[in-house]
Amino acid sequence: MRFLPLIWSGIWRKPGRTILIFLQVSVAFALFGVLQGLKTGVEHLIGEARADLLIVHGGLGLMDPLPLSLLEGIKSIPGVKVVAPVELFGAIYQNPNQKLGVVAIRPDEGWLSAFTFTIAPDYVAAFRTMRTGAIIREGLAKKYGWKIGDHIPLMSTSAQMNGSTDWAFDVVGTYTDSDVGGGKETLLVNYAYFDEARFAGKGTVNHFNVAVSDPRLAVNVADQIDRRFANSANATQTDSLRELAQSQLQSIGDLNFLIRAIVSVVLLALLFATATMMMQSIRERTPELAVLKTLGFTDGAVFLIILMEAVAVFVAAAACGLALSLLVFPFASKIVPGLSVPLVVVALGLICAVLVAVISALLPAVQGAKLNVATALARR
Amino acid sequence: MNFTRQFLSILLMNLSGIRQRSAQVLTIIIGVTCAVGVLVSMLAMGAGARRQEMGDVRADHATLITSGARYLQSNISRDEIAAILGLPGIQKGAQGEPIVVFESMVPIEGRRRVTGNRIYFPLVGITSTVTQYQQMRFTDGRMFKPGLHELIASSPCVRQFTGFEIGDRRPIHGSDWTIVGHFEQGKAQQCVVYADVDNIMSIFSRNSYGAVSVLLRSPADFAAFRDAVSANPALKLEAQRESEVAEEGFKELNAILNFVSYFVGTIMAIGATLGAVNSLYAIVDSRRSELATLRAIGFASGPIMLAVLVESILWAFPGALLGGALAWVLFNGLSASPFGFSFQLAVTPSLAVLGIVWALAMGFVGGLLPALRAARVPVATALRAT
Repeated sequence: MRFLPLIWSGIWRKPGRTILIFLQVSVAFALFGVLQGLKTGVEHLIGEARADLLIVHGGLGLMDPLPLSLLEGIKSIPGVKVVAPVELFGAIYQNPNQKLGVVAIRPDEGWLSAFTFTIAPDYVAAFRTMRTGAIIREGLAKKYGWKIGDHIPLMSTSAQMNGSTDWAFDVVGTYTDSDVGGGKETLLVNYAYFDEARFAGKGTVNHFNVAVSDPRLAVNVADQIDRRFANSANATQTDSLRELAQSQLQSIGDLNFLIRAIVSVVLLALLFATATMMMQSIRERTPELAVLKTLGFTDGAVFLIILMEAVAVFVAAAACGLALSLLVFPFASKIVPGLSVPLVVVALGLICAVLVAVISALLPAVQGAKLNVATALARR
Repeated sequence: MNFTRQFLSILLMNLSGIRQRSAQVLTIIIGVTCAVGVLVSMLAMGAGARRQEMGDVRADHATLITSGARYLQSNISRDEIAAILGLPGIQKGAQGEPIVVFESMVPIEGRRRVTGNRIYFPLVGITSTVTQYQQMRFTDGRMFKPGLHELIASSPCVRQFTGFEIGDRRPIHGSDWTIVGHFEQGKAQQCVVYADVDNIMSIFSRNSYGAVSVLLRSPADFAAFRDAVSANPALKLEAQRESEVAEEGFKELNAILNFVSYFVGTIMAIGATLGAVNSLYAIVDSRRSELATLRAIGFASGPIMLAVLVESILWAFPGALLGGALAWVLFNGLSASPFGFSFQLAVTPSLAVLGIVWALAMGFVGGLLPALRAARVPVATALRAT
């Protein structure tokens, strides 16, 4: 403890230099936080995606339609709790640049357990009784200022029976979605209404959502579904939500190499810059260190004081930088919606800061410790 | 003594004493090298993607899409075919038929050759006029025959995925399709598979095309073509140049890549500048007595400041060259596939120039404060200290 004042005065010996090093370290760790946060955040999201929710889509890919008649077949497979048909189509609101995704679902018994949505019970009840009802994703409702009771006209690429491509829905509530994938600007509508009114593709769905009774059976159930429809005209491909998240975020995983490279480059450059500054500082302080030793400070104590100076500045600066990265992260996370910096990254950053500090201060500290009092004072 | 001579002699003096300050100079160079290297390599992704997306664009190509829809996601009904074929400005083929390509796209699943991971690639149903519409070089096999269940695949498919050898059969919607040809088209690195459009549409029970592309007689015919499209009440379509379509498809990726590049590049530049400031302060401090002596014998502060600024820029310059060179050596031509696109990184001359400008700016900003300090060295105290 008696070293504290010494360390403190050592840090502020040249305030300008310390502040610059502080800023440099902060900036480096702000970048570290954002990049590493992106990487770890993606891994986190995949881990959090539901493994017990299966998506059954056409064997040819996510755009391959399946007939609604598959529903009973899927339901009959042991371990399946709820099967929910889902049809997707694109629409625009007012002008071609305001695109939104429409999700047509059937509000059957227990349907919500086959989705990642959170919806208030009275909205669900209102949706069930209103054929043209729509539940709007909260962000979308906010964007256009839509309120419950509003009648919203949309234009779609799917035509109605009468040839018109205009559709209209009545807002009955809002919902939030915990899933990573899919669009952000979406609304839920009644499949029964949509399917009856549309011109082409009647009786088909984009995919089925399947909730399983026991999460441990998910892989097994997925296999059984695919096996049941294999070699038919409607071969299926069943994946859990987690598998889908994995393949969707895979592309960002390709950036992992780049992220690692940048983070290493940043830390290396930082290491070199601070090591030079520390050397310079110890050179300038040779007489002061000699005086300390004359007063009876051991070599070990001098070594420790120099090391602690560096560690203190680095940890404080890194904490500052990481806090900054938490602040700017919402902008960077535009790339992956719903991403946040896990606390692991902060801990990792602080460990890195201590490491860089110790490595860059090691040589100067050894120099300071090995200092010969007589020659050091004589040089003065 | 005039300004220039003072400035030059101070600069020479500064540079000659640099051997004792090599650690500080190295710090500046390494910092700038890293910042420029990272910025240039990251922008090389965007440049590479653009080079590939725009590389095959031809001015005599035009595309018809439904208003507001994206390429290949339109709804162009069969009723509109006759009106489209009759549009003015379309190049005629050998048999006098207009060169118009009707397209319909279905994403198909494939397996990566190396990892076995599942990915999706486009199966594009297409009319056989496509061979006249764009350059297609068959490296193996032949064109598909209309009406048969035959597929042709671009060579990147064969390299990246399994199941695309000539003679391989792929089950699509309950029936077997045979790969009969491999082709290359321009610079494209994307896997794309073509089949007869009418076959695809009947199998997937579609009755509208995703897009229609036409070859114009000359680029100048585009205006007349577009006007004819918008003037025709039977067509709810919009004509776009191929460059507009490519730009639209590329917009999102470009925005992300640019944002990431400049975000990371700017932060690194700030870090490098801070390091340069610190190093230059140390350099200036080590010259206090020399500077004070110069002031004492009548040198003005202007040349002293300018000399430090120029010195700072001079040290940043090799960093720029080194950073650009490293980016080129390490990354130019490297394949990357972020966000589902795959392309080769391109370190272009304009990126190198940008890197140099970026570095010079770092040197200039980093030199400002130390230059001020150098000019303000108090003569008396500085001389007494020695």
